[in-house]
Amino acid sequence: MSLAVIYIFMILAILAAIFAIESRRLMFAVIGLILMNLCVWILFLVLNAILLAWIQLIVYGGGFTALFVVVVALTEKQKDELFDWKRSAIALAIIAVIMGFAIWAVVSSEALFDPAGSLLFAFDLEDSLNALWNARTMDIILQGVVFFATSIAIGTLFISHKKKKVKEEIKA
Amino acid sequence: MMDQIHLLILGIILFCVGLYALLGKRNVIKILMGIEIMTIAINVVFIALGSADFVGDDFQIFTQIFPIISIAIGAAVMAVGLAIVINNYRHAKGVDSDEMATLKR
Repeated sequence: MSLAVIYIFMILAILAAIFAIESRRLMFAVIGLILMNLCVWILFLVLNAILLAWIQLIVYGGGFTALFVVVVALTEKQKDELFDWKRSAIALAIIAVIMGFAIWAVVSSEALFDPAGSLLFAFDLEDSLNALWNARTMDIILQGVVFFATSIAIGTLFISHKKKKVKEEIKA
Repeated sequence: MMDQIHLLILGIILFCVGLYALLGKRNVIKILMGIEIMTIAINVVFIALGSADFVGDDFQIFTQIFPIISIAIGAAVMAVGLAIVINNYRHAKGVDSDEMATLKR
């Protein structure tokens, strides 16, 4: 398969995931999930993870989709979700920071991608794990910081929401 | 063969899309979809790490077995989550995450 086609599938997977999250009707969201699963299935097949590709397609693409369709059908009388600008803006800001940090951490660790680095010829599991540990210690520290910041951010979201609810109750 | 770093970035972006659903959406079904997308993103990252040329066969097998365990656990999580959604719908007549507190009564 041509390399360009694989990259197109990677972009399609991201677009399908965004469509699944952002579509207002839940049935369309389920269709987006199916599309994303199919794209990821093709990626796994290309990456030589054949067993995992089929298990992923059966469990996520088949089983969960059926489960989601049943749940959406059982809860079909729900109201349309209104777009909450404030909440979405806070979430997008948090995610932009996390994504920036994560991509920077991955891109900055050159040793893993350097063919002349010390990671060549790590034949067994222990060598590979050691090599990954040596190359990615900085990543792990950064990810720890990111997860700590995220948990605090999520906590503040809930606290502010609870305060707002208490105020509304007092008003009522 | 495609670049490993692009696969890692794909995993990061998918993870962030799932995290956005977790933080920005109030519909519990969409939050569960976000969790599913995050699980898939982690699986992509594992496979990307194992697909490098310099890693040994053992490590490649390890990176393919771990996502299978993750899928099994994810299946259980999703089943319980969707059961809670249906119970919440029976109590609160809605799938809003803010109305989950009615399950306590």
